[in-house]
Amino acid sequence: MSIGGDPVLSVRNLDVKFYTYAGVVHAVSNVSFDVYKGEIVALVGETGCGKSVTTKAITRLIDPPGRIEGGKAYFRRRNGEVVDLLSLSDEEIRDIRGNEIAYVFQDPTSALDPLYTIGHHFYETMIDHRKIDKKNAIQHAVNLLKETLIPSPESRVKNYPHELSGGMRQRSVIAIGLSNNPVLLIADEPTTNLDVTIQAQILELIKDLQAKHGMSVILITHNLGVVAEVAHRVYVMYAGKIVEEAPVEELFENPQHPYTRLLLRTVPDPTKKIEKLESIPGTVPSLINPLPGCRFRDRCPFASEKCLEEPPMVEVGKAHQVYCWLHAVKG
Amino acid sequence: MEAIYKLLVKIIDSYASLRDKINKGWKEKNSSRIREWKLMSYAFSKSKIGVLGGILVFIEVVLAIVGPIIAWEPYWVYPVINNPDLKLLPPCIPPWCTGGPLLGTDEWGRDLLSITLVGVRISFIISILVVLFGAPLGIILGLVAGYKGGVIDEIIMRLTDIFMAFPALVLAIAFAAVLPERLRLLLESNTMLRDFLAALLGLRVNEYPQIASLLAVWIAMILVWWPGYARIVRGSVLSAKEQTFVEAAKVLGLSTRRILFKHILPNIISPIIVMMTFDIATAALFAATLSFLGLGPQEPVPELGFIISKAGNWFPHRSYHIVTFVGIVLLIIALGWNLLGDALRDILDPRTRRAIEFTEGGEKK
Amino acid sequence: MGLGRFLARRVATFIPTIIGVLFITYLIAYAIPADPVRAWVGEKLMNREALEEIRAKYKFDAPWYEQFAFLVTSLLTGNLEDPIQHRNIFDELFYRFPITVEVAIMGFIFTAIIGIPLGFIAALKKDSIVDFFVRIFALVGSSLPAFVLYYFLILFLFTYMHTTVLAGMPFPSQTCIASISSLPSKIPVIGHIVSAIGSVPMFGAMMCGEWGVVADTFRRLYLPGLALGLLDGGLIARIVRNSLLDSLSQEYIQYAKARGLRKRRIWMHALKNASIPVVTVLGTLFGGLLSGAIVAETVFNIPGLGRYIYNAITRLNFPAIIGGTFLVAIVYVTVNLIVDIIYAVLDPRIRY
Repeated sequence: MSIGGDPVLSVRNLDVKFYTYAGVVHAVSNVSFDVYKGEIVALVGETGCGKSVTTKAITRLIDPPGRIEGGKAYFRRRNGEVVDLLSLSDEEIRDIRGNEIAYVFQDPTSALDPLYTIGHHFYETMIDHRKIDKKNAIQHAVNLLKETLIPSPESRVKNYPHELSGGMRQRSVIAIGLSNNPVLLIADEPTTNLDVTIQAQILELIKDLQAKHGMSVILITHNLGVVAEVAHRVYVMYAGKIVEEAPVEELFENPQHPYTRLLLRTVPDPTKKIEKLESIPGTVPSLINPLPGCRFRDRCPFASEKCLEEPPMVEVGKAHQVYCWLHAVKG
Repeated sequence: MEAIYKLLVKIIDSYASLRDKINKGWKEKNSSRIREWKLMSYAFSKSKIGVLGGILVFIEVVLAIVGPIIAWEPYWVYPVINNPDLKLLPPCIPPWCTGGPLLGTDEWGRDLLSITLVGVRISFIISILVVLFGAPLGIILGLVAGYKGGVIDEIIMRLTDIFMAFPALVLAIAFAAVLPERLRLLLESNTMLRDFLAALLGLRVNEYPQIASLLAVWIAMILVWWPGYARIVRGSVLSAKEQTFVEAAKVLGLSTRRILFKHILPNIISPIIVMMTFDIATAALFAATLSFLGLGPQEPVPELGFIISKAGNWFPHRSYHIVTFVGIVLLIIALGWNLLGDALRDILDPRTRRAIEFTEGGEKK
Repeated sequence: MGLGRFLARRVATFIPTIIGVLFITYLIAYAIPADPVRAWVGEKLMNREALEEIRAKYKFDAPWYEQFAFLVTSLLTGNLEDPIQHRNIFDELFYRFPITVEVAIMGFIFTAIIGIPLGFIAALKKDSIVDFFVRIFALVGSSLPAFVLYYFLILFLFTYMHTTVLAGMPFPSQTCIASISSLPSKIPVIGHIVSAIGSVPMFGAMMCGEWGVVADTFRRLYLPGLALGLLDGGLIARIVRNSLLDSLSQEYIQYAKARGLRKRRIWMHALKNASIPVVTVLGTLFGGLLSGAIVAETVFNIPGLGRYIYNAITRLNFPAIIGGTFLVAIVYVTVNLIVDIIYAVLDPRIRY
């Protein structure tokens, strides 16, 4: 794996709001992150923190009542050209989707159209982006299914989604994502709906595929174990904002943001005897007309007056940034 | 709208106090349920179609109850015999005309408005009774079939298949054609039943052959109606069965009857209630259609479909007023229940209910 | 599991259903009437001999299984005789049946033409005035008694505007009918199918190129067709609207977008999924049109199966009611079977 050089994706100041019955939800506020070539980046956070919304936003999959209200998403295409995904025309973004940026949905059962075979899903993903005839498309599909370790891919390709198990569906969706050799693969909670044993297999698969094809991967998850297994770098999100970013070992050994620290504490150590499970007291704040400043303020054991102001980004190590007043004070 | 909400809340509160008097502490235990009812009442009062439907249904119920009592002309008397000029008089609406029957007369010279008032009750009673008997029959069979499974399920499902193999109207026609004979004999021998039905329908005891026909129509319709409910309830029970609260109830050792009626049924009842409301409208039109075809009560019983059927012979020049007016009455009866059903469907679905609440700016306690 | 096995299983349930239909028909014909002989014979007076003959022939005094056997054979061989006029009911029934099919097809066409486009527009312009109108339209259509609408359409389009006729029935010429009915003997199987389709007067005329007859048919039948379309069109529009909106909000559409599929392809996904409930409802509607024909033919004076059954009711022609009910039921079961097959072809999930 080689990280470095210019990033494949650079998101700056992304802002997404949802206009609902109950009020305006500030789902994603001022989010910025980078993804470099050949790396696996994890977007970690609890449910509702905005990680899925972020990636849906950059691929322009946000529907009303959601609105992308600001920010840029610079993407380096296969041909080297750099574009802002958020300002492309409909046809241009359509061209990139499924082709240079692949999206693997969280729930493969509802993502696959029950009326079409797996093979057809592959075929249409390919034919709408390049010239290929059906026979070769199906052959390519079979090869991809083989790569994702699905047994007897020749017959699987003719199956309908309901004829496959959950694990096979997830692999199929990943394989479909690889159809056109994407530059960037976005995997939205790819293991959440699966058994633990299958989870491990899927994660291995993602790692291998990434190494083999050299693509970049954004992995969305709420599971720190998954992050530790697979990611190179991690962004921690809370309540619609990024609170910390670091290379994976650095994050686990040296977490700086109070939220990250508490989060790591909640993961039980299987080797130790546990009297009580740890949790973070309080609940996630409402994102409807949120107050300015740090959103973790109400649950943070170190909160102070200063936290009512927007916390700055502070560099606390190599490629390690945190958004917190604690560290700004320390300098 | 406010008034309706206040009225409904009052009804709910008095019901709650009543239950509380019978079982002390009922109000406490069911406070969340009471609150949900009040929320539903709020949503209902906010729904324009719901309120309109409710008003129409209310009017129909009132007319059904008082109709035969306030009808000023006896429906069994044919004024035409003494005065042939009274036949098929057109409507006489002030101020363009005075002194004649407001809506004209039928071919026997009877005041149209008067006999319609009698007809509304017949329509109401039949449609309500069909749904009130047919639905529970189907529901219970569906509950048993879905919960017990096995042979019982197979038998009940085959039965529904067979009944549903016939188009509803055709099956009803066939039964309505053969049953009156038997029922007439029944009513002849059982005078108590005969008197009860006559009073209920607002008819004279003399018309018992026609009442037999109505009874036949009723039974025929119930036979046609129950399979639909059985199928749907069975389906709901099958999916409810898989849920953990049923397992919990079983583990607690609750009897089958208790599980079915106190746990499963309340969870699947909402779409059933909506279906029943729509079905009252369908049943009213269905009964009118059977009468139109000649299978219901004959002269002199003024069943609404039958009146239109006879008027057809003189259509359009001499009987347009009959077809128009009675047609509109049937339309309004059916429309009331359909609107109500539509509104209930939105209210009983928690998602759309919340949407109604929020757009009006917050819940009301 | 595949389509084949599903079809086999589905067709297999056809038989028990038919047996069930026969049983109910038996109940209606023999078991329920208080005095079956009276019912079958009607009010006509007859001497003892004739009555005895009828009693024996129709097995009124025989045990129930003999009665059942008699009824079953009569119905299945299409040979039920009217005890008074000694005519085979089924001759009448088979003559009139294609006419009713014609009326049902007309109603179906109008319902589809009115309902499907309206439903589409309502879905695409959700919560607009069109959407609201569709809701009202569906509501009124299902609240209005059919016969009342029929009378009013007659009043406007016939009495005042003279746009149609209410008597007679256009048929293709004798030569055409002859050549169509001779087809089965010339080409087996296909000939039978074509001949069956051609027995519907409208299609027969089309086959022979007698377009004048087709136009006449349209002129004669467009009124009941329009009426049925107005009554059921709203319902279809609502179903189309709801299933299209539902389909468009499904995750597979999002996934299709995420894969960068072309717009037309995404629409195919949405439409194919949305079509399933619509096709199912249209199918059951067609079956319902058959029974709705009873009222329609009566009011519009169409000499079809429905009118025949109506007359049978008013004249208390019992064998006719039995035969007619049975035939309609059989057709209905067949239509439902076809709808289920179409459903299985469209949706691979239910083939288990």
